Amino acid sequence: MAVLIGRKVRKIYGKKSNAHEVLKGIDLEVNEGEFVGIMGPSGSGKTTLLNVLCSIDFATEGIVEIDGKNLRSMKEKELANFRREKLGFIFQDYNLLDTLTVKENILLPLSISKLPKVVAENRLKELVGLLGIADILHKYPNEISGGQKQRTSAARALIANPTLVFADEPTGALDSKSATALLTNLENINQQKSVTIMMVTHDSVAASFCSRVLFLKDGQIYTELYRGDKTRNQFFQQILNTQSVLGGDGYDS
Amino acid sequence: MTLSKLVLRSMRKNLKHYYLYFFALIFSVTLCFSFTTLYTNPSVIETLEKSGTASTGFEVASYILYFIVTFFVLYANHLFMKRRSKEIGLYQLIGMTKGLVVRLIALENIILFILAVGVGMVLGFLSSRIFAMILLRLVELEAVVDLTFSIEALTQSTIVFTILLVVILIQMIWMIRRVSLLSLFNASKKADERIKPFGVFQMIMGIIGIALIYYGYYKSTQLFNIADPDAATNLFMNMLLILASTIFGTFLFFRFSVSFIMNLLRSRKKGHLNVVDVLAISPIMHRMKSNAKSLTLITTLTALAIGIMGLSYISYYSSENNARQSSPYDYMIIDNKGVEFLELLNKEGIRYEKEDYLMSEVDLNIEELISNGLKDSPLFFTDEMKTSVISLSDFQKKVPNVEINDGEALLTSYVNVLSEIMPLQKEKNIVAKTEDLEVTLFVTDIREDFLLYSAVNTGGPVLVVTDDLFDQISASGKERTQIGINLKDNNDLEKAEAIYEDLADARGFELEIVEGHPFTHTPSSYEELRKENIATFGMTIFVTAFLGLAFLLTTGSILYFKQMAEAEDEKESYTTLRKIGFSTSNIMKGIYAKQLFSFGVPLFIGLLHSYFAVKSGWFLFGTEFETPLMIIMSLYILMYGVFAVLTIQYYKRVVNNSL
Repeated sequence: MAVLIGRKVRKIYGKKSNAHEVLKGIDLEVNEGEFVGIMGPSGSGKTTLLNVLCSIDFATEGIVEIDGKNLRSMKEKELANFRREKLGFIFQDYNLLDTLTVKENILLPLSISKLPKVVAENRLKELVGLLGIADILHKYPNEISGGQKQRTSAARALIANPTLVFADEPTGALDSKSATALLTNLENINQQKSVTIMMVTHDSVAASFCSRVLFLKDGQIYTELYRGDKTRNQFFQQILNTQSVLGGDGYDS
Repeated sequence: MTLSKLVLRSMRKNLKHYYLYFFALIFSVTLCFSFTTLYTNPSVIETLEKSGTASTGFEVASYILYFIVTFFVLYANHLFMKRRSKEIGLYQLIGMTKGLVVRLIALENIILFILAVGVGMVLGFLSSRIFAMILLRLVELEAVVDLTFSIEALTQSTIVFTILLVVILIQMIWMIRRVSLLSLFNASKKADERIKPFGVFQMIMGIIGIALIYYGYYKSTQLFNIADPDAATNLFMNMLLILASTIFGTFLFFRFSVSFIMNLLRSRKKGHLNVVDVLAISPIMHRMKSNAKSLTLITTLTALAIGIMGLSYISYYSSENNARQSSPYDYMIIDNKGVEFLELLNKEGIRYEKEDYLMSEVDLNIEELISNGLKDSPLFFTDEMKTSVISLSDFQKKVPNVEINDGEALLTSYVNVLSEIMPLQKEKNIVAKTEDLEVTLFVTDIREDFLLYSAVNTGGPVLVVTDDLFDQISASGKERTQIGINLKDNNDLEKAEAIYEDLADARGFELEIVEGHPFTHTPSSYEELRKENIATFGMTIFVTAFLGLAFLLTTGSILYFKQMAEAEDEKESYTTLRKIGFSTSNIMKGIYAKQLFSFGVPLFIGLLHSYFAVKSGWFLFGTEFETPLMIIMSLYILMYGVFAVLTIQYYKRVVNNSL
């Protein structure tokens, strides 16, 4: 079943003479339980696509549906509620609130929902167990490492049991060890809890954790790769090959 | 790009950012300039001098005004320089020398400053007429004020603001020179150092803070308590002690108590926060370290402004009451001196009511009425005091339905300073003596009615005795008469006043306050006394209101600037919150709570401070306490609220633009 559907999504910045078309009619579907990666050279529209798909930005043309709901038909307030209840977000620069402890940051999306405290506590326990951050719950973000911050951010994205998690370059600011740890965590969560994840990355290693990778070039989908039964290493090689075919120019990693 | 182009461009960009600074600068120049114009305006001076109002208060006030403005401008400039440190660092990073950066910023400052001063002077000139009219209305004088441009005001303001500009430039150069490139980039981060877990130390300091405030309040209620032998002799020391303990207590309260209380509230939630906790409680808690000083300053300034305005408004508000206490009737004739007044009134066809009084005098010992604690005070003298006496039937002319029996008496006209400092107890005995008479009387009541011309009994209480006893007293002592006259129609006031004044020489009566040194005293009419009060206190309230306005502007702007900076700092948080699904209205709910704190708490504590300050000594200034103070407080809150609304608007824009 498709959780996310995009039909002929176009995004144009600017007006008339200096209009710049970033997305040139993208069609895609993401099924429940998938771990989809979006790759592409810088300027290919990865982040714009993610923003349009996750309702932070609007498409100039085309339709985006999540869980059967058209994003265009919703007002600001409805959209906010929708994001809170159905979507989870992981950002490159963590976006944790410095004034809150790790635990408070994770529970943040629940602060305006009426979820009973016991339920929230149970979810929190399960998530911090999975992500390995149970012993830093009472620390402030400035007291923990980047990897821990990003796992906190992941826990926050997952606390509301979202239908779909969007991750924008989640490993961008992490060293390779922390990055691998985080991706393994995400992979586990994807498989064990069958959470659908969509991740933008320019890191081939990160992409090799996905079940499917979309390649974007000049605002269009160039190709897509399925992992299938391949090992991670084989899939990684395949991704590298595709990248070189795509033309290495402009790759920033 | 040339330097001038860069300056213009950055100014255009920054104007949006600090338009309130610009506005505040204009406003303070307007205040200063119109104030100076006012007191250098010959027609105003002339009118005021004719009415006998001293205009020296003006000059002192203008210095204070300049001082406030200087302080405010320096503070604001410091704040803005700090916020622009990144920009300054960037200029240096791309290879500008510090000298060039200084020139760039200086040029920008000079243009802005000159613009503001220019606009402010024009507005000040125009508004000075309005202020003059307000002043003359306050002191109830009628005169046409010409709008003359005062060269003196221009030169004075120019000199002051030039000096101020130089000081600002020095401050700016010093700030740019002092810091290295690296620290420039960190400057805005340094301010909000993250807190450590809260410890016992914080808790103890927090409690000490609250205790100090409480001690200051308690001390202030004891300031004029003459039962405490220490109070009178060390009045000045006590005042300083109160001031120091409340201000320092306020600082400790903001620095430690607030975070402590908030942390307590927050940790009780065990991580399950609501929007208000996220957007109000935790940021406030973390910023208390850097905000404590400015909040203390704001609280103190608020208390000061309301205190000063409150006291002077109490004086102004009490003008009529005060005059009535001195002259309970419109006109009073003592010992028939100037009794021709009545005939002249008749001749002019002015209708009036009159009441005749007989007065005498006893030496009164009121020792028993004074509470035990007060007797030991060095201030209190147990000697007998000369007191005016009237008979019950005379007293009933003004206050019917009051009865006393044989052996009983009343004291009346006992209010204000005396009753506050030395309260008397009723239902005790007093001893009244004349040359050949000594009676012990039971005091049934202490009343506040006024019937006698105050100079006759030198402002002390008046004794009311039964008619029989009065006859005995007046037979053995001296007897005086008093005629109290009230006009029936207030339209005759002007004519009557003129007649009364013409009789000034005839009206003088003899007074002997110090034995063996009699002198002649000419009574004033109620209207004369009232006008005198209005003139003095109208002037005072005008000047203090001007200063109060400057204080308000300073505190409000400082709060606004601070909040503006915080909003910018927290913009990232709003972006995050909106991305993960908080709507603008959710976020605004937290912002409202935060502003309620940022503006409400300093205001509330400031009001509390000023309440106790005014309460400790209001009776020295007037006869009414609650009403005038409440009026001043409400007005202040209202105008202060404008800044809170402006701040919320700013936050709304930031939140809306954060996604």
